[in-house]
Order: sequence, then C-alpha cells, then structure tokens
Amino acid sequence: MPLVIFVDDSETALASTRMVTNSMPIEVKQYTEAQVALAEIKAGMVPDLIITDLNMPVMNGFEFLKELRGVPATKRTPTLMLTTETKPELKQQGKALGLTGWIVKPFNPAQLKQAITRVLRLPA
Amino acid sequence: MMILDSIDELLEHIKEVQQDVMELSNESLMKMSSFMEKNSLEIDEDISTALQYQDIITQQLTATNEAIDSMKKSIDIFSHAYKSDEGLANESLAKLKEKLNVTLQDAKDKKSRFSGKFATEHADDEIEFF
Repeated sequence: MPLVIFVDDSETALASTRMVTNSMPIEVKQYTEAQVALAEIKAGMVPDLIITDLNMPVMNGFEFLKELRGVPATKRTPTLMLTTETKPELKQQGKALGLTGWIVKPFNPAQLKQAITRVLRLPA
Repeated sequence: MMILDSIDELLEHIKEVQQDVMELSNESLMKMSSFMEKNSLEIDEDISTALQYQDIITQQLTATNEAIDSMKKSIDIFSHAYKSDEGLANESLAKLKEKLNVTLQDAKDKKSRFSGKFATEHADDEIEFF
C-alpha cells in the first residue's frame, strides 16, 4: 500500500485527516513535528505522498519542503500543503519550491479523498 | 508608571485565559474525535469542519498571544526608559506608540491569514493543483 505522511502541529487537524483516510487503501503515518518526519525520511522511510501544514513551530512547511527536496528519496515526492493560508504569494512560493498542490482549511473530506486518489492514481 | 503596570498585568491575564481556552478546546475536540474513531463513525463535511475550527481557533489565539508578548516587551522598554530618565519619556512614548501600531497591524494581518476559507468571500472547495 502507498505510504502517505501527514505533518501538522494540530492534533485535531490530524484526527480529521485520519477519519477521512481510514477507509482508503493507503498506509498513513502522522507527525506533529516536521523535523521528526524528516529524520525518519533521512533514516530510510520513503513516502509516496506528503501532506503538510505550513505554519508550524520549529520547522514550517516551506522549510520542511526545502529539506525534502534535498533528500534523494523525496526529491520528487508529490507534496500537498494543507493550510489556513490563502495568500497567492505564498502559493507561488510553494509552487516554486516544487509543491504539487494547495488545500485550504477547513478541507472538504470528499475533496481531500479525491486529491489523494488523484495524486497516487488509486482506483476511483 | 502605575498605569502601564496595570496594563501589563491585564495583558498577562488575557494571555493566560487564551492559553486555557486553547487547551480546553483542543481537549474537547480530541475527546470527540477519539469517540468517533473508537466507534468507527464516519465523518461528514460538517463534523470535519467543526474539528478543523479548533486548528483555526488555536492559530488565531496564538497570534494574539504573540502580539501580547510583543506589546508587553515594548511597554517594558518604555517603563525602563521612563524610570531612568524622565527627559527621555516623550521620545520613548513616541517609539512605544509606533511599536504598538506595528504589533497591532501584524496581529490584524495574521487574523486574516489564519482564517482559511473564512477569509475569502467566495471560497470554494476546489483544491489547487500546480
């Protein structure tokens, strides 16, 4: 099963995504700190999709994305930003860093499911 | 200046109350989501949105607490300048006003930024792919 990792400092945001993905044919790992997810990736974990928040303490979503692009295993891993931020200039910044897409919170469960299905090319 | 000491105490109190509100709302929604997960209840759009409100509440209150910290720091700098040399008070007061205005503007900007779809009048559920 494809591995999807979620990174968000909000436990309730992670719980919301968990309830959306638990019926999907994917393996899910969740992290409240980007630096912990990054350490596991550097230690050998290879996710098929990364979904991360932007505003997080210690390491924000953009810093995380920059680090991911420096690791050979995640250089081209599809990455979605799941955030409250709506500013076009931030989206442009994400696009320039190689982001796959931008999802604004609060997300629609069906839309999130569709996005994961589309990116991972899962059977609809 | 006693008035500044009172304002400082009031700001500290507001900060503590906001911190408690964040912790309580998080605990409340975590209990609800834990119940739903244990009972394998399916999440619909309304419940999903309700759970995600907590994230927005926390980000909004955290931004306000950061503004309070910044205001307290500016007030503290002014108080020290005033106590050491009253002649510096007028100049320091102008600087204090300037710093508080910057803090307020930053806090207002974050209120808009951290509101997610609620910040945009015609927000839809479309996910933007690049």
